[in-house]
Amino acid sequence: MPIKWLLHWQPNAGTTVNSQILTEVSQCVESINGAKGGRWKATLTYYRPILRDQSAPTEYPRDLLGISLQDQPNKYYFIIRGQRIVLEADLTIQTIMEKSQSYKARVSLYFEGFQYQLGDFQLRVGKVVPIHSENLRGIIMEVEYLPLSSLDKSRQIMDDFLDIWQETVSGRSLPGHFMHIEPNFSEYGLSDQYSSQHTAIQYATAMAQLIAAGRN
Amino acid sequence: MECVVEGIIETQHVEALEILLHGLCGVPKEHLKIHEFCLRSGPNLGVVASELRILCDLEQPKPTWTVRHVGGAMRGAGAEQLSVLVRSVTESKISKNALRFFYALGYKLDHELLKVGFAFHFQKGVPITVTVTSVNKMLKLHATDEAVPVTPGIQLVEVTAPASADNYSEVVAAISSFSEYLAPLLHLSKPGVSAGVVPTAAAAAASLMSDGRDDAGQSLEQNCCKGVNGYRLPGNQTEPEPLSPILDPPHISVPEQEPLRT
Repeated sequence: MPIKWLLHWQPNAGTTVNSQILTEVSQCVESINGAKGGRWKATLTYYRPILRDQSAPTEYPRDLLGISLQDQPNKYYFIIRGQRIVLEADLTIQTIMEKSQSYKARVSLYFEGFQYQLGDFQLRVGKVVPIHSENLRGIIMEVEYLPLSSLDKSRQIMDDFLDIWQETVSGRSLPGHFMHIEPNFSEYGLSDQYSSQHTAIQYATAMAQLIAAGRN
Repeated sequence: MECVVEGIIETQHVEALEILLHGLCGVPKEHLKIHEFCLRSGPNLGVVASELRILCDLEQPKPTWTVRHVGGAMRGAGAEQLSVLVRSVTESKISKNALRFFYALGYKLDHELLKVGFAFHFQKGVPITVTVTSVNKMLKLHATDEAVPVTPGIQLVEVTAPASADNYSEVVAAISSFSEYLAPLLHLSKPGVSAGVVPTAAAAAASLMSDGRDDAGQSLEQNCCKGVNGYRLPGNQTEPEPLSPILDPPHISVPEQEPLRT
């Protein structure tokens, strides 16, 4: 499948993300002739272990994330970042987790926005909001390069695109910039050939960055 | 949800059972080789202790993995009356790092089994699966090549069908009806309520096997249409025909319908 980079908005120190930035970023995409397409959405859920004795020390992971992606509507992904595990399963895995009553879904966040077509690139720009809330937690952007599925082979063209994109955004003097952090996919046992599991890991990584940015 | 009954059969009669199943189902058997890992939640994890089964299908060119959660059986007086167990089952295909994932979540390996045998998947009003497997245990961790039978000389037969809250009674009826065909060879009951082997098995098996020899030059498909040892089975038949007198077990007697009184 085509390679994808996930970028997140890193606010400047002392500033926070707001919907005006999202509006301007969307205008930036249109200014470089991105043709607006349909809506796009992904969902990320934090799971916590259910412990019979809350006071007992626990070795169970507290960083279990579940992710559903729009382009894989029948799949569900779990990530344990601390142990570099990504799991691909059917949607019914959520029912299995629910029925086994060992981990509980605590908080869910939506990533939602619009898709844009720009030549061989497919861009998705959207907000990060908790479910049942309009409280903006971040801005996220997917950059997909349709002709290539090798991470290595696409690195140069993705870097070039990112340079142009950063330049376009910086013209608006917004209080922050987009960042791309490439996780070490081989630590998760993934190859150079891009897959939805790579996407899931990128979402987990970006989310960790958004949380860290929110704390600063 | 699924409906399920189980039974056991001596290995020496499995070939006869296979002939019978082939005749009844009219589909080729599929080979089965499943490495099953039974996991239990670690101490202090979960509202109550939970159990998950990870199934690795070794029969595929590239092994495929499935996680299976078996929930509670349907309860109540009505459920007690049924000869078939109705229980909640949820399955999900899963990537090959399934074991590592569930170990990381705090699940521990309780035991592992290697089930080797065959399965028939067919329609009898509802989709039914019959599996006949030798259940093996591993003497060393994950050493499937050195697996030894848990109960030498005995194989496990499971008949299952997917069901929903709306149609389970129909599915129970289909499984009960199908089970009657197999009654001369084995007794099928709810899991955990083993009824042992049946006394008629040897005679029924011998009868089925001799029929197989008589028809040695014919394909099993023809056997199927001609009838396997008195089981009259037209190719497209869906409703059970009466069993032959030889194999008709005494407990399956259909009372004659009383004439309608006007």
